[in-house]
Amino acid sequence: MLNVENVRKTFGAVTVLDGVNLTVKPGEVVSVLGSSGSGKSTLIRCINGLERLDGGRITVDGFDVSRPKELAEARKRSGTVFQLFNLYPHMTALRNITLAPIEVLKRPKAEAEAEGRALLASVGLEDRADAYPAQLSGGQRQRVGICRALAMKPSYLLLDEVTSALDPEMTAEVLNILAKLAGNGTTMVFVTHEIEFARQISDRIVFLEKGVLLVDLPTRDFFAQDGGLAQPRVAQFLSKMRKD
Amino acid sequence: MRFTQFTPYDLVLLAQGLGVTVGLFLLTSLIGLLAGTVLGVVRYYRVPGLTQAVTFVTELLKNSPVLVQLFLVFFGFPAFFHLNVGPVQAAVITLSANTAAFVYVIAVSAIESIGRDQVEAARVFGLSRWQVLRHVIAPQAAAFSIGPLTALLVNQLQVTSLISVIGVMDLAKIGATLNLRTLKPFIVWSVVGLLYYLAAKLVAGVGARIEHRLRAHSAFRGL
Amino acid sequence: MRFDLSVLVPHLGFLASGAMLTAAVCGLALVGSVVLGMAVAIARTSSGGWARRAAYAYVDLFRNVPFIVQLFFFYYGLPEIGIYIDAFTTGVIALSIAGGAYASDAIRAGILAIDNGILEAAEVSGLSKRVTFTRIVLPIALRTSVRPLGSVLINMILTSSILSTITLNELTGQAKIVASDTFRPFEVYFVLLVVYAALTYLVSIGIALLHRRLNRDLMGQVS
Ligand SMILES: Nc1ncnc2c1ncn2[C@@H]1O[C@H](COP(=O)(O)OP(=O)(O)OP(=O)(O)O)[C@@H](O)[C@H]1O
Ligand SMILES: [Mg+2]
Repeated sequence: MLNVENVRKTFGAVTVLDGVNLTVKPGEVVSVLGSSGSGKSTLIRCINGLERLDGGRITVDGFDVSRPKELAEARKRSGTVFQLFNLYPHMTALRNITLAPIEVLKRPKAEAEAEGRALLASVGLEDRADAYPAQLSGGQRQRVGICRALAMKPSYLLLDEVTSALDPEMTAEVLNILAKLAGNGTTMVFVTHEIEFARQISDRIVFLEKGVLLVDLPTRDFFAQDGGLAQPRVAQFLSKMRKD
Repeated sequence: MRFTQFTPYDLVLLAQGLGVTVGLFLLTSLIGLLAGTVLGVVRYYRVPGLTQAVTFVTELLKNSPVLVQLFLVFFGFPAFFHLNVGPVQAAVITLSANTAAFVYVIAVSAIESIGRDQVEAARVFGLSRWQVLRHVIAPQAAAFSIGPLTALLVNQLQVTSLISVIGVMDLAKIGATLNLRTLKPFIVWSVVGLLYYLAAKLVAGVGARIEHRLRAHSAFRGL
Repeated sequence: MRFDLSVLVPHLGFLASGAMLTAAVCGLALVGSVVLGMAVAIARTSSGGWARRAAYAYVDLFRNVPFIVQLFFFYYGLPEIGIYIDAFTTGVIALSIAGGAYASDAIRAGILAIDNGILEAAEVSGLSKRVTFTRIVLPIALRTSVRPLGSVLINMILTSSILSTITLNELTGQAKIVASDTFRPFEVYFVLLVVYAALTYLVSIGIALLHRRLNRDLMGQVS
């Protein structure tokens, strides 16, 4: 279980997360919506330990990310996919994927590589294993990014606007893969602006507004007139997103 | 007569050596700055043939050891041209030419950074070539190049130490003399090194002050 | 006097042996200064207060004291404390230390230029600081600093001529001998000048090729 309890995060005088509570159970897909600057990325960065909390607690399968001794265990259980891919530019696609399994999980090289190749094959990149990031298209890079996260066999996959740097065609490539992952039971926390896609794959949708988690509802209720849409801010946000 | 101890007079020797170093540094820097700038300006007016020749010579000077240049002038010139070239003359010629080569490159890129359209605009307003050079090009080029020039001069100050090899009694040569006489290399070279260090810091400090001033005047260009 | 290069022909082999020695000294000193530069760059980008200060002091000192003073400090100083090493080793050490100060700047810039997102990706995947540094930070920094490190090498080749003052017969040292044997210092030092310039030119071409080769897979992420 991924537990976010009453988390507060400030940057100087600005409160970016204000008492956020969120629980993600194994197998669930939870989408995080909210306008720009509402704190979505910050929430993800708190969960994977890139930001220090100013209040509250986050545990990943019981391991507290704020405790230095438990952070490593917590991180082994979550995998992050970044908006700008953040691939290691001097390593091939395969090396990007196998580095952490070999160095952190101490997996034998041959095994890690076999699994890496299988992962690449599952995203349609079996013939690009030896390509460097610069030789890949954006969509291909992000597929490698997903493989890199999956190679650690995380219990929770954290995705922060993973398609917003891609054009529509490449976005479709990546979303297809995410849909497949959602279908076979991968647990995901999915920050996105792709409302329709979120609606298709999510079990729950949460809505952040100025650092406050305003709504946390099962997907169907979120889009219902007497559910999420009853919140003026949500209705406003959705109609604005649909117009764009 | 052989002293192996330091004497108070050694301080005078060091001061003299420092004086020779600083004096030759200032003189050759001045000549180098003038010559390099003039060459840069000449290039701007696109004198046929000259640019290639100047570029060739400056590249040669920039990409060969100053020590070899010194040897060429000090040993080579007298033998080949039957000139009488003393150590100090050789030092002045070589260091000035070497500094000029680096200044030339800085001057060229400074002038190019200004852009011909700006100059043409000034010409349209009826400014003469000389006025354009003085009021449009010079101030901007100075602000642009003061940083690289400071770095160059800090480096050239250290390069002066090579003239000790051809016998000029500069700071390094005094160091070598004291080293031979006292056989206390650590003390001698530490003191000599410290003096060079302080002189280098002084040059860098002066450069930074000038830069600060020039930038204050051209702040509107975001320089 | 006629400019006659044919007098040098019998001495070409002799000069070539000097060039080989120059290459050997510079090759070893390049390795030395990159290793030293890496260590110092790590110290300078670390959070440890004293390591940072010590690293900065080293860079500041060795960049502001003339190389010939540093060289004499080691050459005459080390025997004083019972360390007897030959001119070749002294030269390699002195060049490594002086070059390391410049190399650390290049490598440090390479480290600081690494995209923070890449480091965050390494951090969240659980890679230790050490692995992140050796597998990600250093390889990227070394690739991006090929060009500035190349400038360090070129400077080192030019500076190595100063080793002739401690009796090391590298290229310049051999040339001095040829000059006094043939009584043709002008021809000898002129050719030497051109040889050094050609040498550094070839090295700069090699560096450009190496840069292209090493960074072809980094294109787009590193300019
Ligand atoms: N390191 C930081 N220092 C200061 N302020 C920050 C920092 N990181 C984020 N913020 C601020 O925190 C707020 C939330 O940022 P965050 O990136 O979490 O928003 P977001 O919901 O992900 O927005 P977007 O949809 O544009 O990605 C913003 O106002 C942002 O300016
Ligand atoms: Mg964001």
